Amino acid sequence: MPPNPLAQANHDLWKEVDESGELRYCFNCSTCISGCPASEANPPLLIRNLARMVILGLEDELLEEDTPWTCVTCSRCEEMCPQDVKPFELCLAIRRWQSQNDETRIPPSIVEIYHRGYTQAVEKNTEQRKSLGLPEKLPVLTEYPEELKKFQEMLMKNEVIKENDYMFKSGE
Amino acid sequence: MKYGLFLGCNTPAIRPDVERAIRVSMPKLDVELIDLEGYVCCPAFGTFPSTDEEAYLSVSGWNLSLAEKKGLDLLVECGSCYSSLSMGREHITHDEKKKARVNELLAPTGRTVEGKSKVRHITDVLYNEIGCEKITKTIGKQLDGLHAVIQYPCHTLFPHELVGFDSPPARPHILGNLVEALGAKVDHFSCEYTCCGGAGGFHRSSAIEAKTFAQRKLDAIKQETKAEIVVVSCITCLMHLDNVQKELNEGNGNYDLAVFDYNQLLALCMGFDPQQVASICAIPRDKIIARFS
Repeated sequence: MPPNPLAQANHDLWKEVDESGELRYCFNCSTCISGCPASEANPPLLIRNLARMVILGLEDELLEEDTPWTCVTCSRCEEMCPQDVKPFELCLAIRRWQSQNDETRIPPSIVEIYHRGYTQAVEKNTEQRKSLGLPEKLPVLTEYPEELKKFQEMLMKNEVIKENDYMFKSGE
Repeated sequence: MKYGLFLGCNTPAIRPDVERAIRVSMPKLDVELIDLEGYVCCPAFGTFPSTDEEAYLSVSGWNLSLAEKKGLDLLVECGSCYSSLSMGREHITHDEKKKARVNELLAPTGRTVEGKSKVRHITDVLYNEIGCEKITKTIGKQLDGLHAVIQYPCHTLFPHELVGFDSPPARPHILGNLVEALGAKVDHFSCEYTCCGGAGGFHRSSAIEAKTFAQRKLDAIKQETKAEIVVVSCITCLMHLDNVQKELNEGNGNYDLAVFDYNQLLALCMGFDPQQVASICAIPRDKIIARFS
């Protein structure tokens, strides 16, 4: 007999992913997929399937899923879901669950934000800004070193960041 | 009217001509823009909101506290910033436990957040606070029947309970009305209300499919309308719909739709220097800019 994946399922997975439990109301109607740009991605983002995976407790499969990260964040699914399951929130919750269970899922962009408040190099675009008649520097966080330090200390209190603090120290 | 200006990162770093357009056009409509000292990433959905909720809300709280301290609402053009800040604010204001935890994290930094500052999208303020009539009266030059199509930013539409200001929410018209207030003719087309497809990981993870997705919209515009320009009010829509045409043209595409942020058109109609307010683009805007010389 082939192994039955449901026999090894984690039946508390839905609580781990989203304690609100909204997704128990999903009846797999697929409204979240229709109109979703990323449902045309390769492989497609099929939120309904992800919801099913969570409910069935298929945690190994869920950890392997790259598709939640292709979401364009437009939140159309959130508007249209007839059961108010909040599929976009679910998509973010799955990403968080993945980040918390597999450090390689942690987006490198948060390290950039930790170091300079931003992902884009807002503070470096001085020449172009000047040519457009703009103030060369914006009052972004890097202009206030003491505040930047406080910002970093605040973030370091976060469990996920604390547990993976090596990521944040290497760039210094 | 005074607002705390929340520019985000893409506008000041990649399309600062849009920042210039906002900074010069809004005061002409009696809106004073105040810079917030020490602001950080909104945070974008792909960053802390995808890592840990507490980290997400502490960063939202950091930004909201800056506006709150000055007694200002935030003015935002970028759709992602607008949506992330709006959702962050919703969590903080409607969940006492989360609010208490965010304030606990903010306390050592000398900040607090109650959620008093609202997050406003720039088209909401232009339409609902300033009004089309005042815009038409204030501008010097009209677009004289120039045909335009609109890209409504999804992040200002969905979910409407949290971010919406159009009415009815799923049938947006505000940006179209604002463009008409400049004298343009707004054409309608079959893909008018679909997403641009530019945000998040879609374009990064599935470049071919994302290009095809955008192409469907661009082809509909070409086949069904007389539009010479696409008007947006979101930095992601602006960069994506502009850049994706260039990408398609590097293949077999032949797309030449000039893409403008609304405030760029507004600033041009007010007589500001095109070089300063609308010079950065992938698809040339010369033909449209020439109307203003």
